[in-house]
Amino acid sequence: MSGAEFGTPRDLAAAYALGALEASEAKAFEELLARDTELAREVAEYREVAALLALAEPASSPTDGLRARVIAGAPPRPISTTSSSEAGINWMPWALAASLLLAAWMGAGRARLGARLEEAFALLARRDTLLAQRDTSLAVQQRTLDALLAPGVELYQLTATGDPVPGVQLFWDRKRNRAIIQSFGVKPLPDDRTYQLWFIQDGKPVPSVTFRPAADGRAQVESIEVPSGAGVTAAAVTEEPLGGSPQPTSAIYLVGKLSGA
Amino acid sequence: MRLVDLTWARGRLHPDDPLLAVPHSFLHPAVTGSQGTPGDAELLARAARGDERAVGMVYDRYGQVMYAVAYRIVRQPGDAEEVVADAFAQAWRDAGRFEAGRGSVAAWLTVITRSRALDLLRARSRRERITDTAQRSDPESTLGMGTPGASPDAAVETKERERRVAEALADLSPPQRAAIELAFFEGLSHSEIAERLNEPLGTVKTRVRLGMQKLRESLKPYFYERFA
Repeated sequence: MSGAEFGTPRDLAAAYALGALEASEAKAFEELLARDTELAREVAEYREVAALLALAEPASSPTDGLRARVIAGAPPRPISTTSSSEAGINWMPWALAASLLLAAWMGAGRARLGARLEEAFALLARRDTLLAQRDTSLAVQQRTLDALLAPGVELYQLTATGDPVPGVQLFWDRKRNRAIIQSFGVKPLPDDRTYQLWFIQDGKPVPSVTFRPAADGRAQVESIEVPSGAGVTAAAVTEEPLGGSPQPTSAIYLVGKLSGA
Repeated sequence: MRLVDLTWARGRLHPDDPLLAVPHSFLHPAVTGSQGTPGDAELLARAARGDERAVGMVYDRYGQVMYAVAYRIVRQPGDAEEVVADAFAQAWRDAGRFEAGRGSVAAWLTVITRSRALDLLRARSRRERITDTAQRSDPESTLGMGTPGASPDAAVETKERERRVAEALADLSPPQRAAIELAFFEGLSHSEIAERLNEPLGTVKTRVRLGMQKLRESLKPYFYERFA
C-alpha cells in the first residue's frame, strides 16, 4: 500500500482533522479547504469524530475548583454592553428599580415610589436567594446522580420479609467501597428510635449508618462505607435506639442478598 | 464503563423517584439553542464578552469533554486542569474566529484543548514524561463529584456518548485504532506514526483514513452538531 492511493484532497480530510498531516501538507490542504465548502463540511464531520475520541476511556472528573477558575478567568465585561436576552431576563427588575428611583428623585409621589422601590429590591433579593437555593439543590442532585451512574455501581434491593411494599435500594460502588441507600415506604418511627443499616460479613452483622425516614417513608444516605474485604454477602435494616447499636437489638426489618459478593 | 440501565431501574424505583425524571433523550438541544436554551455559538459570543453566566454554561456543557481530552494527553489531573483553563482563556480570546458553519463549538474547543495539551506535553523532556507517566495517579481515584452545573440529562447523554464511542473504537481493527490514537493524542504525523509502528507510510495513511471513515459513520448520531 502506498501514499499514491491518496489522490484527492478528500482522502486527507480525516488526517487533517486529526492533525496527522505534515506541516507542508496541512498548509496546502488549508488552501483547498478555504475554497471547497464540501471539503470543509467533511473536515467538520471528522472534527466531530475527533472531539468524541477522548470519551472512550473512563474519564476522571476535574475538581470543582476548575469551574470557578474558568469563570474567574472570564474576560472583563464591557460596562455598557449586554445581550438582548440578558436584558430580558436579568436587567428588567433593575431597570424597573432605576426608573422608580428616577421618578422618586423627581419628587413625584416620592414616598409611594420609594416603597415600591423597596419592594422591587426585596423581590430581587428573594429571587437571588431562590436561585442560589436551586443551584445548591441541583448540585446536590448532580453529585448523587454522578455517584449512581459511576462505573461499576451495582443496585441491590432490601425488602421486608413477607411484605414487598417497604424497601431500601442499595447502590454499591465496589471499587470505592462506598454505597448509597434510598428507602421507600418504610414505616415511621417514634422519636427515640432510628433505623440502622447492617452489612452481613462472614455471617456477622457489621454496624453501619442510621437513618430516619421522612413522613412519606423516604430517606437517602450517601457515602456509606462498606466493610472492606470479602465475605460481605447481605445487608439488613433493623430498628434501634437513637444513635444506633453495636449489635442488632431487634428483629430484621429489611434484608437483601448482595449477590456476587 | 458500566452504565446504569435506567429502563431496567424504572420498574424498581419508587414512582416519585427523581431518577425517573431523567429524560432519555440523547439529542443535545443546547447546541442549536432549541427549546429556549441558548445555542453554543451564542453562549460563546456572550462568554467572550465577559458574561460569567455564559462562561459557566459553556464550561458545564464542554468542560468535562475538554478535561477528558487534556487528561488523555497529559495524563496528570493537575496538568489537565491547567490545560483546560488555558484552553478556555484562549477560546474567549479567539471567539471571533469561530465560524459556526465550519464545525461545532465542541469540536472547536476540543481542537484548542488538544493543541494546548500537546504543547504542554512537548515542553516536557522525554525523561520527565516517563517519570510523570509512572507516577500518574489512577484516574478513578481522582474522581470529583462531576460537573456541578451540568444537568442530569446532560450527564446521561454524556454517559451514553462515552459508551457508544468506546463501542465504535472497539469495532476498529487494533492497528486502525492505534494509528488514530497516536495521531490525535500524541500529535504524531502520518510519517511519525509509520516510524513509531515500523509500518509503511501508505499503510498508516490507509488505516487512519478507513478508521476515521468508519468512526464517522458509526458516531454520526452522537456528533455535537449535525451537518446538512
